[in-house]
Order: sequence, then structure tokens, then C-alpha cells
Amino acid sequence: MKKFFREHGIWVLFATAVIAAALAVMSVMSTASSPLANLAGIVTSPFRSACAAVSGWVAEKQSYFADITALEEENAELRRENARLRSENRQAEETLEENAQLRELLNLRPMSFDWELETADVTEQAVTNWTSSLTLNKGTAHGVEVGDSVITETGALVGLVSEAGYNWCTVLTVVDTDTSLGAQVYRTKDLGLAVGDFALMDEGRLRLDYLPADCQLLGGDLVLTSGLGGYYPAGLEIGTVEEVQLSDSGAASYAVLRPAADFGSLVEVFIIKAFDAQS
Amino acid sequence: MLARSATIFKWALYAGATLVFFLLQGAVLQRITVWGVIPFVFPLLAAVLGTYEPPLPASVYGLILGAACDLLLPGPLPCFYTLVFPAAALGAALISQSLLPAGFLCAAAGSLLAFLLTDLLHCLLLWLRGQAAWSAGAWVFLRELCVSLPLLIPVVLLFSAVFRRTHLDD
Repeated sequence: MKKFFREHGIWVLFATAVIAAALAVMSVMSTASSPLANLAGIVTSPFRSACAAVSGWVAEKQSYFADITALEEENAELRRENARLRSENRQAEETLEENAQLRELLNLRPMSFDWELETADVTEQAVTNWTSSLTLNKGTAHGVEVGDSVITETGALVGLVSEAGYNWCTVLTVVDTDTSLGAQVYRTKDLGLAVGDFALMDEGRLRLDYLPADCQLLGGDLVLTSGLGGYYPAGLEIGTVEEVQLSDSGAASYAVLRPAADFGSLVEVFIIKAFDAQS
Repeated sequence: MLARSATIFKWALYAGATLVFFLLQGAVLQRITVWGVIPFVFPLLAAVLGTYEPPLPASVYGLILGAACDLLLPGPLPCFYTLVFPAAALGAALISQSLLPAGFLCAAAGSLLAFLLTDLLHCLLLWLRGQAAWSAGAWVFLRELCVSLPLLIPVVLLFSAVFRRTHLDD
């Protein structure tokens, strides 16, 4: 061992340092992804799409033969939910009209929820056991940038774009340890920080930290993005409060959140490329 | 001592074998979850090759494998696997040179070291960012090791076949 290190150790160390530094510098200097990572992503993109298509086909065939009784029950439940939503929609339309009239009377600027969306297919789910990520088939060629928010068709926040190549991008989900979002509890209007926690990531949960001392959260409370700072749109559904716990020191409390999006079943998502920060 | 052309042929075969496992990881292993974790073949590749080759070539292989993984996988550092895999391959090579003869047992010991180094660095980086998760990290390490170890069988069989094919005179 000593002989090896005496003869070659310096060269191995040098080569490791050069390659590591090159990867780090390319990663830091680029706003999207490093040229080599971009090239690797482009080359592997068709392979990812093909694998996603095959696994999607297999899943579709499996679900085709699902229990018919369960499907009938689900259908009945959806009919009831549809009726309730129709009723709520009628009320919402009336409220919107009233709101518009009042805004006009008070001379207020109308709120805008205009988002520029890009539809994307999920070509790869989590690739290591230490990150919670997705790979999508849209990239800088489609106007996708690092930091863009990714949502489901129901408006649930999936995560944020962490790396963008020419025709691919990587999304770190809200439960990943690198994710940190300004959040607001819908019922109490308390502000906090939704952050990924490795111990909770395994269970598909995240934390809501920096809550006010007098915060009174209840299980099931809805947590949305606060939109403070203008980095992400406000009002995206992060998840619901599952439980409130004391931190290890016992001095502060934090909430455990169940994400609104089901990452395992995602096939298609929407990337918010632009939004009105003032809304 | 192998001739130049034989050396090139050997490393081309190793590269081909590595590509097979890259495809296996991307097409199959990444899409299945056993005991809550994804089987992860890359540390095994660095460790198994390390058991058949001397420390220097093994470290260089680990370096290239690590750089390829860094280009394809998200990590806490842009050069995470570039730092870990040469050390894992070097450790496995030193084990096979001084402790255990190359084979399944040696590969298992090298793989244990490779996963330990990889997951320890993950935990260390989380701790440095103020998100210490030692017990959760240890639990992931244990499950990842148990779920990935069966993959040693195809990895060792393929890499030993390459080694035997290219060292007929030994």
C-alpha cells in the first residue's frame, strides 16, 4: 500500500482533483447545466423516453385488468364529487362576478393568475436513494430554466427545476433535501419555510419550519407557496399538515407535511415558465 | 504483462460490461423499489473491478465511472461520485492484494466499503449543511447494501469473465 501511494498516489490524487474541479467549475459557471452534463442528458434522452414508454405500457396493461368492483366504487365516488364541484363552481362564478364588480367600484387592479405553462412527460423517476427527483423531456429549447416551478394538472406543486439541458431537465421534488420554499398556511395565514428533510424523505414527507411561536396548526391544514420574493408563484398547493412536532431542542415546533402531489404516479406535469409575480 | 493491443482490448471489454450495467440500471433497476430503496449497481462496479485489477488502473476506472455518474445522476456535489468511486476502487484493489483473493467474498467486502464510503459522504454533506441524518442515513445504507448485493453475482461473473478472457497466460 505504501509502495503504491509512493509511486502513483500523487497522480491519482491529481487526476481526481482536476476532474472534480472541472465538473464543479462547469456546474457553477453555467446557469442551466454544464456542457458535458447537457451532452450526456441529450444522448441518454431517447433511452429514457423509450424506457418510460415501455414501463408506461406495462402499467397501463396492469391497470386494465384492475378490480372492476373497485373501479365501479371509484366511479360512483367521482360522480358524487362531480356534482359537489358543479355546485361549488356555480357559487364561485357568482362570487367572481361580485368580486369583479367590487374591484371596479373600488378601482382596484384585477388579480392575474396568468401562467405560461409547458407540458412535459416524466421520463425518469428517482435515480438514487439520496435524492427525490424527476427527469422531464423538456429543456432550454422549450424555454425551461433552472428554478421554474413544476405542478400537476390539479395545481399541486411537484418541485423545482434544478438542472436544465437542451431537451431535458431535472426536477427536485418538494421532499428533496435541497428544496426550500416560502410557505403559508391557508387557514391561519402563518408564514413558514417548507424544507426537505432526509429522515422524512423516505416516507414522502417534508417539514414546515420557522413557524411563529403562537401558531395553532391543525391536522389537514392546507399549506401553499407564499410567493414572497417573487421566485415562485403564490398559491401553489404544497401539501397538508399531518402532525406538529417539537424540534430536537424542544424550543421550536415544526409541522410534518404530506405533499399534495403523488410523485410515484406522475406521468405528465406542467412547468411554469413565466408568471405574474405581482399577482 | 499484457501487450498494448491486449490491454486496449481488455479495457474495451470492461467498458462494454460497464455499459451493460448502465443500461440495466437505467432501464430496469431505477424503476423498481425493493424494501423502500432502488438497487444501485454503480458502487459494485467500482468495487468488483478493483478486486481484479491493480490499484492504479482500478482507481482510474473508478475516476471515469464516477465522472460518468456525476454527468448522469443528481448529487449533493457536482463531483460527488468522482471523489468517491476512485477511493472505493482503490480500497477494493488493496483488499484483494493484501487480505482476500479476488472472488465473491472479496467483491462483497469491496462493495461494503464502496457503499460505506458513498453513503458516509452523503451523510457528511447533509451534516455540513445542518441537516444531520445519521440514523436515517445508516438505515438507507443497510437497505441499499442488502438490496444491491445480489447484483454482485452478474457483476462478478461478467468482470471475471473479462479478466479470464484477457489473462489467458496467467
